[in-house]
Amino acid sequence: MVLLHIVCMLLSYVAFLAAFVSGVLFLIQEYQLKHKRMGQLFHQLPSLDGLDRFNFLAISSGFALLSVGTLLGFIGTQLRIGEWWIGDSKEILTLGLWVWYLILWMVRLRSTLRGRRVALLSVLGFGFVLFTAVGASFLLSSVHPYEAVRQEVFAQPVQS
Amino acid sequence: MHIVVIGVNHQSAPIELRERLAFHPDDLPEAFARLRTDYGVQESLILSTCNRVEIYASVPDLSRTSDDLRSYLGRRGNVEKEALNTSIYRYAEPDSIAHLFSVASGLDSMVLGEGEILGQVKHAYERAKTHGATGKVLNVLFQKAINTAKAVRTQTAIGCGHASVGTLAVDLAEKIFGDLANQRVLLIGAGKIGELTLKHLLVRGMGEVKVMNRSPSRAQDLALAYGALPVSFLELDTQIAEADIVIASTSAAQAFLSASRVEQAMRLRRHRPLCLVDLGVPRNIENAVGALENVYLFNIDDLQGLLAYSVKTRQDAVAESRAIINQKAERFLAWWRSEAPCLNLSSAHAAAP
Repeated sequence: MVLLHIVCMLLSYVAFLAAFVSGVLFLIQEYQLKHKRMGQLFHQLPSLDGLDRFNFLAISSGFALLSVGTLLGFIGTQLRIGEWWIGDSKEILTLGLWVWYLILWMVRLRSTLRGRRVALLSVLGFGFVLFTAVGASFLLSSVHPYEAVRQEVFAQPVQS
Repeated sequence: MHIVVIGVNHQSAPIELRERLAFHPDDLPEAFARLRTDYGVQESLILSTCNRVEIYASVPDLSRTSDDLRSYLGRRGNVEKEALNTSIYRYAEPDSIAHLFSVASGLDSMVLGEGEILGQVKHAYERAKTHGATGKVLNVLFQKAINTAKAVRTQTAIGCGHASVGTLAVDLAEKIFGDLANQRVLLIGAGKIGELTLKHLLVRGMGEVKVMNRSPSRAQDLALAYGALPVSFLELDTQIAEADIVIASTSAAQAFLSASRVEQAMRLRRHRPLCLVDLGVPRNIENAVGALENVYLFNIDDLQGLLAYSVKTRQDAVAESRAIINQKAERFLAWWRSEAPCLNLSSAHAAAP
């Protein structure tokens, strides 16, 4: 359960990283088109539409994985200590992250925002991901230290 | 043994002359046969495009055969000797080899660095080969020419950028939408340059095409010619909301597409990206439109600015391209010189029985 929680969370970070990369590429390409510049990168970058669709796919899958991972985390906590919520800093941040990507996903799905703004939000979102995934473990006190992740992921086969 | 090229191109001869000298694909078998039997040419290849007519040949006797080839071209095209003499060029190795490599690389083309010529060289080679006109020398020579052209195109910036406003506009649209096959085009105004751009778009395969013009009869003509749908000027707002690529080229005295109008259309189309190409002078589309989200506006100055950049990039790449060509030509020459005695021998053997 905990392993699955970690795997889902890490995979969702990977998906958000993909959304971040496609968002950055989108912003570069869109800047070149808007400012009528065709540098070396211009010919190598994929089309705006392609980047936009990839970005949406990454956000959608990342959001789905994050949802499952968070849910597993809650269930795991409930099973272990009989509580759903322990008020850990990482829990709060992850919930914030979940809301952020929920909004981003909805906004893009309903085409309220498109293109540059969605790309920008997915780039900013990844900053949030980084802070939640790494920053929280070092800057704030958390019951989610990386030592635990390492033990859980690498010790699992030996235990079972 | 010598490798010669004899022919005319867009610089040496006017179109009227090139037309008369041109070879139709159906004429090639007979031409190859005549070159072999009547003129003693061992191997031959004919490159005939709208900008050039050239015969490449491997011949035993340089001066006699190249005179013969010139009179063959003149007689065939019914061109007077004087007109032909001033416009025809002849090269023997090593110049002939460097010439072919330059041609294949697009350095000798009317639009510097264009890539179509490479395909035409390949076709010419394949045709000559299937008709048995080429042998070991021309086979290797043309394979090397094709390889050299590919090397030049990948290693230098000779093919970078765009050759015309039309191809540039198409490429910009592709950078926005990716595949154009499902995109809808709206052509506003049926001027020459708009039509030309439409042509370039259609070459890449477009979805639906609509034509809007003040005089409905011209819109009808264009619509018929390109399988497009004529639409009325009154529907401008809804049509812009539906189209993905709008090409405006009317001679309207004032910009008729304002930012507020496009903004409204963007709401209707749920902010799907919109590519606007304004070819009109004075401009058909307000400049402020380009600042709207998900709207990509290119006016004639933008396009020409990008084109000038392309031309300069290509010109700067010429010296580098020539260096590659010379190096490859020398390598071919070295091979050919080492092989030439054997080739003579084998052809003598072949002729013996």
